Amino acid sequence: MTTSPTPSSPREAYVLGGNRIPFGKVGGAYARSSNQDMLTAALDGLVARYGLQGERLGEIVGGAVLKHSKDFNLVRESALGTALDPRTPAFDLQQACATGLEAVITVSNKIRLGQIESAIAGGVDSTSDAPVAVSPGLRRALLTAARARDLPTRLKAFAKVRPADLAPDAPRTDEPRTGLSMGEHQAVTTARWGITREAQDEIALRSHHNLAASYERGFQDDLVTPYRGLVRDQILRPDTSAEKLGKLSPVFGKRLDHMPTMTAGNSTPLSDGASAVLLGSADWAAARNLPLLARVVDAETAAVDFVHGHEGLLMAPVHAVARLLTRQGLTLGDLDLVEIHEAFASVVLTTQAAWADDDYCRTELGLPGALGTIDPAKVNVNGSSLAAGHPFAATGGRIVAQTAKQLAELQAASPAAGPFRALVSICAAGGLGVAAILESVPTTEGDPR
Amino acid sequence: MTVLPPSRTVTGPPPGTRVETLPSVPGLGGLYVRGAAGSAAAQIPGRTTATTLPAVAHRVEGVRVDPGHLTSYQHLLGETGSDALPSGFCHVLAFPVATAVMVRTDFPLPLLGMVHVANAASVLRPVHLGDALDVTAWTQDLRAHRRGTQLDVCAEIAVDGEVAWRGISTYLAKGVHLVGGAESSDAESSVTADASDQESSGEVGASVVWRLSADVGRAYGAVSGDRNPIHMSALSAKAFGFPRAIAHGMYTAARALADVGARRGPTYDWTVEFAKPVLLPGRVDVTYTTGADGAWTYAGRSSSGRPHLAGTVIPNA
Repeated sequence: MTTSPTPSSPREAYVLGGNRIPFGKVGGAYARSSNQDMLTAALDGLVARYGLQGERLGEIVGGAVLKHSKDFNLVRESALGTALDPRTPAFDLQQACATGLEAVITVSNKIRLGQIESAIAGGVDSTSDAPVAVSPGLRRALLTAARARDLPTRLKAFAKVRPADLAPDAPRTDEPRTGLSMGEHQAVTTARWGITREAQDEIALRSHHNLAASYERGFQDDLVTPYRGLVRDQILRPDTSAEKLGKLSPVFGKRLDHMPTMTAGNSTPLSDGASAVLLGSADWAAARNLPLLARVVDAETAAVDFVHGHEGLLMAPVHAVARLLTRQGLTLGDLDLVEIHEAFASVVLTTQAAWADDDYCRTELGLPGALGTIDPAKVNVNGSSLAAGHPFAATGGRIVAQTAKQLAELQAASPAAGPFRALVSICAAGGLGVAAILESVPTTEGDPR
Repeated sequence: MTVLPPSRTVTGPPPGTRVETLPSVPGLGGLYVRGAAGSAAAQIPGRTTATTLPAVAHRVEGVRVDPGHLTSYQHLLGETGSDALPSGFCHVLAFPVATAVMVRTDFPLPLLGMVHVANAASVLRPVHLGDALDVTAWTQDLRAHRRGTQLDVCAEIAVDGEVAWRGISTYLAKGVHLVGGAESSDAESSVTADASDQESSGEVGASVVWRLSADVGRAYGAVSGDRNPIHMSALSAKAFGFPRAIAHGMYTAARALADVGARRGPTYDWTVEFAKPVLLPGRVDVTYTTGADGAWTYAGRSSSGRPHLAGTVIPNA
């Protein structure tokens, strides 16, 4: 592959396909599998599906949120285990639950700038094989002892270790600055926006039914490769009902003044899994006879001040989307598909409630008025994290791949119409939010460059 | 072009072999007890021993791989976590069935004390986790050797009635002279010759160091079930004349296969000849070379240059 001189104006980057392994329950089908095992499996499936054996790709970018320190080069090491040309570079990226989407944005920007022709964006997480660290006290003793030149100094280092130091440090998902779990944070936001239990359960029900239906109609056949005996997502409950979801006890927000509404059914469980998305320039795709599923139009990352309580922890995508749509001159009405990552069912609802609130949009988003409302039939049409599970860094790749495919299906069904447009919105720890717009590629379009 | 390994020239058990179907894969622990008893009985002076191999193949049908077992194997050997079974894992699956043949009372050689001198295996079509595997094993070609008697222990794994994997393990019973005839050549000499050939040929080469900890024998014993005392601890190895525990030969060969990795392709031949055992803990310096045909040759040596193993990994295009 030769690299042409960097074009003076950006060209386009396209989503060409994706692959993931079914997502597993914590301690489930992938209890023994490492992040590297799962990411390699996702990449292997992508390589096999798109005939990339021996190809030198421009770059592979991805990451894991819960990562062992020995996995510092996780993506490169995973790539070396695949049939790709070993000369394919890679790097690790981490932005909490937005890792996968940020990886897609990163590589598509490189493609747009002409720096690379092709790329894979991916992500993986294992809560079953999460890193467990030693306490700071024991770590200091071990490092001091390792540097010591004689036995007495070595022994002295351990003399400072207290019994409490021997307890391992398990990874925590609490926000470091507030000590509150993500669920407790979102419970505050949920109450603030007056989101009901019934509305949240309805989102969860739709997620399970939509994902189950997508498997039934074969939509997931070329997006998911079975792994370790798992054929579908282990969390998926096609037969769940409003009654079953309604019987679950609340788990978050029990200490608030409001009636708690967030249950294990309308909150995403911890899970294991990996995903990968293939992106490329139009020329690269044409040379391999790969159809262009969707164009990566634009993206925006936002952050909010949740530490001082000014904004909810998971509300950053509300801001990111407002800025993104304004920059693109689009409204919510211009969107044909909307993907709002279901960290919790209530995130889907608080996000839309904020966009529909005239006062909030004026004061917080700096807009002339409410951003508007979205037809619920356009939201998470093939199910989302409540049904699939949410292996943190793998979620972005899952959403981008299935949204790009859905856009291509809409385009194929109405060749004269389009382009069809999708919004992807992902909230993340640290008060971060990432949004991106994808667009279908009309078949009548000439040279997309 | 490289010569085809025996795993590609053998086609099933010899004519006249009777197939005995076992209800399940036999436990290796019990087989070793029987093997040790058989080995001890063979030492009794005046005991008459058979001088031919039993014309029997053992078969276990519908074997399913446990995902946790596969993952443990892959993590230990440095294989990727693929659902496709590495050839070395197929060997592990077939090993108890083959051992069951070698502890039969009509098997003429003592199980303990036999030396694994060479191995050849072919993945003829990819074998996957979830496939129902029919495992068949038999012994053949008992032959005289300068230092004793050699034979081949053969195993096949079939999926849906088609042979997908075949392995040939060559063993030497040292000091046991059962059969007359022309003596076969010594494997060790060809190991050394192969290794020096590669280095002078100027092909693309790579170097890898294996630092093997003292517990490698126990770790491979756990995933393979091969808990031969010579691999388990220095003490138990001393009882068999080794100064320390020695690494399983197949562990080292499977490490080499994992080092070649994805470049072996989905179907491939893999051979090894074993020379000096690797004492644990220990270090092995391994070199890999490949030519235009994509075939890999590897050789592992001690830091003083003594050969431990050498072999090939040949992708089947």
